Amino acid sequence: MTLSAVARTAPAPAGSRRARRRSARRIPPSVLLSVLVLIVVVAWSVAPGLFTSQDPVNGIPADLFRPPSAAHWFGTDQIGRDVFSRVVHGTASSVTSALVAVAIGLVVGGLIGLLSGFLGGIVDATLARFVDVLLAIPSFLMAVVVVSALGFETINAAIATGVSAVAVFARVMRSEVLKTRSAVFVEAALVLGGSRWHVLLRHVLPNASRSVLQLAVLQFGLSILTIASLAFLGYGDPPPASDWGLLVSIGKDYPLAPWLVWAPAFVTILTVLSLNRISRWLRKTA
Amino acid sequence: MADRVGNRGYVTYALRRAAQAVVVILLAYVLTFVVISVLPGDPVTTTLRNPQSGFTEEQIARIVSYYGLDQPVLVQLWHSLSRFLTGDLGVSLRTNLPVSHLVAEVVPSTLVLAASALAIAVVLAFTIAFGVQYLPRPFGPALRAFPSLFLSVPTFLIGLLLIQLFSFQLGLFRVIDSDSGLATFFAALTLGIFVSAQIAEVLIANLDQEARQEYAGVARSRGLGQVQLLLRHLLKPSALPVVTVLALMVGEVLGGSVITEAIFGRAGVGSLVQRSVSTQDLPVLQAVVTLAAVVFVVVNLVADLVYPLLDPRVRLLAGQRRSTARPEPGVPEPGVAAR
Repeated sequence: MTLSAVARTAPAPAGSRRARRRSARRIPPSVLLSVLVLIVVVAWSVAPGLFTSQDPVNGIPADLFRPPSAAHWFGTDQIGRDVFSRVVHGTASSVTSALVAVAIGLVVGGLIGLLSGFLGGIVDATLARFVDVLLAIPSFLMAVVVVSALGFETINAAIATGVSAVAVFARVMRSEVLKTRSAVFVEAALVLGGSRWHVLLRHVLPNASRSVLQLAVLQFGLSILTIASLAFLGYGDPPPASDWGLLVSIGKDYPLAPWLVWAPAFVTILTVLSLNRISRWLRKTA
Repeated sequence: MADRVGNRGYVTYALRRAAQAVVVILLAYVLTFVVISVLPGDPVTTTLRNPQSGFTEEQIARIVSYYGLDQPVLVQLWHSLSRFLTGDLGVSLRTNLPVSHLVAEVVPSTLVLAASALAIAVVLAFTIAFGVQYLPRPFGPALRAFPSLFLSVPTFLIGLLLIQLFSFQLGLFRVIDSDSGLATFFAALTLGIFVSAQIAEVLIANLDQEARQEYAGVARSRGLGQVQLLLRHLLKPSALPVVTVLALMVGEVLGGSVITEAIFGRAGVGSLVQRSVSTQDLPVLQAVVTLAAVVFVVVNLVADLVYPLLDPRVRLLAGQRRSTARPEPGVPEPGVAAR
């Protein structure tokens, strides 16, 4: 997605610098809330045992399909497992795989964009065609093909999602590099005898990093959605894994226990919404 | 309007873009082929020798030699690509039918779904964007949160919710009867919501920006009402970039059809992809991905070629597209796409 991401990296209208600086100092409550959500999610994925003592894999046969209650916050599933525990234990896989996807997109796409924008000429033309090709293949189809080539595992779904995000990172990085390259201070650095590497590392990269960071946060949320979709289709780790998308996919077969769908869905939406909010805020204050 | 743009520049531009499009399509075929042949193991012969597929040894030998499976990958690629250029998409490993036959069977259903999804997305996006601008205080600004929310909800969840609500509870349509009008509508809505959020974001940003322009202030000071101002002045410059966005969204819709068709039980390109993935029917997969790329590239080519004709501010200089207008944040570079 990313169209909006590309649109967002366009220069903000000048003249509101002071206003922007002011808004940067005062963090809006919704952003604080989003950060809080992410802290909880990260904590779940690092130490799920701290948040729930119930077994995510083995159920209690006496407790089938219990609706949400004080004992089972998100209810229990078809074999008596605590759904809250399953969601918490599924976080690590759902979130780290999205992180892997973003890392792949960021490193590969960023490198392509950097070389393309900084070197220009034939390198730029060649890489631009390559990026065009990546863009031409609908990214979800690309992810499906890659994951079916690598095998149905969550880590492969993450790689597939990362591959499908390369083009977007390359585009944004390239346009940022081009923007900075033509800036007066970069020309000055070159005139003063700065080497190309020096200019690249000291001036071009730091200036591009803000837009790319904002894109990375946005892609993090999108990757969670893509990986959840792949898991939903059964292209991730099989049960008893409890990736959020997989939980929804299994839960949908039990319409009389709607919490099986809503609990993991709610957590997914809240996480992605928080990431989008932070990305938006980064864009505004950039 | 073409002569205002300058015919010669336009023709050069059009030819260049068309040539690029052809190159991109060919490379997309190659890239897909490379990704697919990375496949570990030998799924082709595994599928072929699966007793369920019912191939005789003779047929297997014919297919193996047809695809040149006993030859190096580069030779295979060459054969495959030259067949593609003559319009031959190969033979399905699962059904032993020509791939073109299988694909042609499901294309109409997906086309209907995709076109309705895009139409719904446009209507939704314009409704949201206008609401943001013109609804009274608590409602208008509250609508601004919608695109962000739509972008955070997984497509499969929207589908499940719609089915739960309108099929199971209200009985408006039956999922089994997946080609009925209402079932198609809800499937298209599922697919369209994510797309509408992207269009709405661009539209809202553009309307905000246009409303701040001097000409809008002048029009207002001369006593033009809000609705008149929108219809006569703001709408056109804000809505034109939607053409570009819409073209980019074609990829989104084609990719999303895999999920939507799975949930709504529709027979289409998306469900063909899913079936081909689970049965490792590589020729079908190769064909569908390439066709999706062809559709995406052609639609975006058309959008790029039509755009300068719609928007006289975009002039063509020396075969390149350049804007003489101020940079617009809502207008993506031509060819920039979106996931």
